[in-house]
Amino acid sequence: MEKRALRIAEINTRDRDEAFDLVQDAMIKLAKNYAAKPAEAWTPLFYRILRNRIRDWQRRQMVRNKVMVWLSRGSEENDYDPVATAPDPAGRTPDENLESHEAMQGLEDALEELPGRQREAFMLRIFEGLDVAGTAAVMGCSEGSVKTHYSRAVHSLRATLGEHWQ
Amino acid sequence: MNERTDVSAEDAFAKKAKQQFDESVERLDGETQSRLNRARHVALAELGTGRSIGVQWAPAAGVAVAAVLAIVLWTGNPGTEDMAAPAVASDMEILLTGDSLEMLEDLEFYSWIDLDEEMDELPETENNVG
Repeated sequence: MEKRALRIAEINTRDRDEAFDLVQDAMIKLAKNYAAKPAEAWTPLFYRILRNRIRDWQRRQMVRNKVMVWLSRGSEENDYDPVATAPDPAGRTPDENLESHEAMQGLEDALEELPGRQREAFMLRIFEGLDVAGTAAVMGCSEGSVKTHYSRAVHSLRATLGEHWQ
Repeated sequence: MNERTDVSAEDAFAKKAKQQFDESVERLDGETQSRLNRARHVALAELGTGRSIGVQWAPAAGVAVAAVLAIVLWTGNPGTEDMAAPAVASDMEILLTGDSLEMLEDLEFYSWIDLDEEMDELPETENNVG
């Protein structure tokens, strides 16, 4: 569970360390406040907490980026490298791994271009596998809104990714 | 017809996106997984300190869970018919210590934290979370 959550946070933050902090924070909050809730409520609760943490983080980043731009400091020290160095547990060849990694990278880039609600709907439905009702619970909106956001997300992503993904 | 084709193309796209995501999760390296493991332990440690709801019922719940397990152990189940009596007694001893009762209360939560597969059925939940 936490591995998927980490990847989802990482796609949203583009920073693994930040993603770690957000996931751990969400797990602590869930354990501390909601462990007594029915088991079936934990997944949507966890993702709702994580989503709120990610949004707070994104707001802080926006402010920080504005300050950084104002101070004219670049981001040369960005050493983010998502390529895992450990042997592949699924036994894929390096070429297959690279191809898969590039496909995922393309998807992540395309996701970044989406409006926030569309991105959330897509990631919760596809990556986390929540149903429409669960996604609506996490996003705090109606099921109809989830369907609309999701449909627009898929449409935009397909248009952006083009034939590579057909 | 066109609409149907479009829906199946969208489904195929969604399937491929999920597959790519799943593979990216599988590609997480050992160091990352170990770090996640530690993060999970930190979170689970909070179970002992931060439980606020139903805390007064926790010991009773633990005893109830232990009682059910005890019955299962004593009466046996399809997989444990040939279980030796001393082993059962020893399991009971472990089960009835205070620490184990606490562990049993959290067992379901521990399993969920460990779960890698998604849950299908989700109920309504609170909006004011996080």
